[in-house]
Amino acid sequence: MSEIYQQPLFGIFITLSAFQLSQIIGRKWKFVLFNPVLLSVVSIICFLVIFEIDFEAYNIGGQYLGFLLGPTVVALGVLFYEKFEQIRENIMPFLSAVVIGGVMSIISVSTIAITLGASEPIIRSIAPKSVTTPIALEIAKMIGGVPYITAGIVIAVGIFGNAFGPVILRCLGIKNKNAIGAALGTAAHGIGTARALEEGKLPGAYGGLAMCINGLLTAIITPYIVNVVI
Amino acid sequence: MFKGILYIFSFLALGEILVYLCNLPIAGNIVGMVAIFIALKLKLIKLNDVKPASDQFIKYMVLFFVPYGVGLMTFYDILKIHWLAIVVSTVASTILTLYITGIILQKFGKGE
Repeated sequence: MSEIYQQPLFGIFITLSAFQLSQIIGRKWKFVLFNPVLLSVVSIICFLVIFEIDFEAYNIGGQYLGFLLGPTVVALGVLFYEKFEQIRENIMPFLSAVVIGGVMSIISVSTIAITLGASEPIIRSIAPKSVTTPIALEIAKMIGGVPYITAGIVIAVGIFGNAFGPVILRCLGIKNKNAIGAALGTAAHGIGTARALEEGKLPGAYGGLAMCINGLLTAIITPYIVNVVI
Repeated sequence: MFKGILYIFSFLALGEILVYLCNLPIAGNIVGMVAIFIALKLKLIKLNDVKPASDQFIKYMVLFFVPYGVGLMTFYDILKIHWLAIVVSTVASTILTLYITGIILQKFGKGE
């Protein structure tokens, strides 16, 4: 039986099935927790735990789908080009929003973690939580965090932003779709951007550009902020 | 469609090579994203050639995150020990970041 799990087909098939099912459920019942990413991830984890299958076995196939994220990020560059003129008329407010949001992200997560008594390696690992995984991993290595913890936190933050971001923002009175897009990209990188795209192509472009700018910004300033805070 | 996929993978490769050669602390795909934007701006490639492919990739973006999300199951042990500080600080900070970014752009930006 275990031979079946060792095939790439297993991870790919279970991911596609879970995703399709989650989309159907999400469309049928409009409920925050019925978010396609959240639902797919939770149902696959449950399946693997129940049938005692290792993540490594799942990932033999899963990694092929994960790999496609690389070209997808490049594809976002094409979207920026299409929406460039529209974003340009908003460039100063947009840049200030992303820069201030990005700086606050690092400061707030590290000060709250310190207050709650987190150890120094944990703080150094979660400081770059809002940026896309590959950048966050490099930052974690640079400032003495544990890349493995960083990777997990980054993904968890992304899923949180994807599932709950728009609801939270609307509750807090932010109704402008471009603002929602930029906020999702700044706070929850690519997974947030994916949700911004569901709000529309222009909010998606704002999200993707915000992710890119915050990624660069965070890579440069995190070492300084963390050293001041700790 | 095929031409578009080839372009996208070429720029991804270009990004990875630049990161490797220049030892940049950035992801190769982000460099590729900036590079394809510049190439389109300088009219080195045509929008109509890449758009069919890029739209498809973007359409299924969330799906490609699912395997990384499933990877969270291996974090159970770390979360068990430090969960309070990690969960509270990241959730509170994420909400704050969302709000600050959103409110600034909503207040000072134009257009819907």
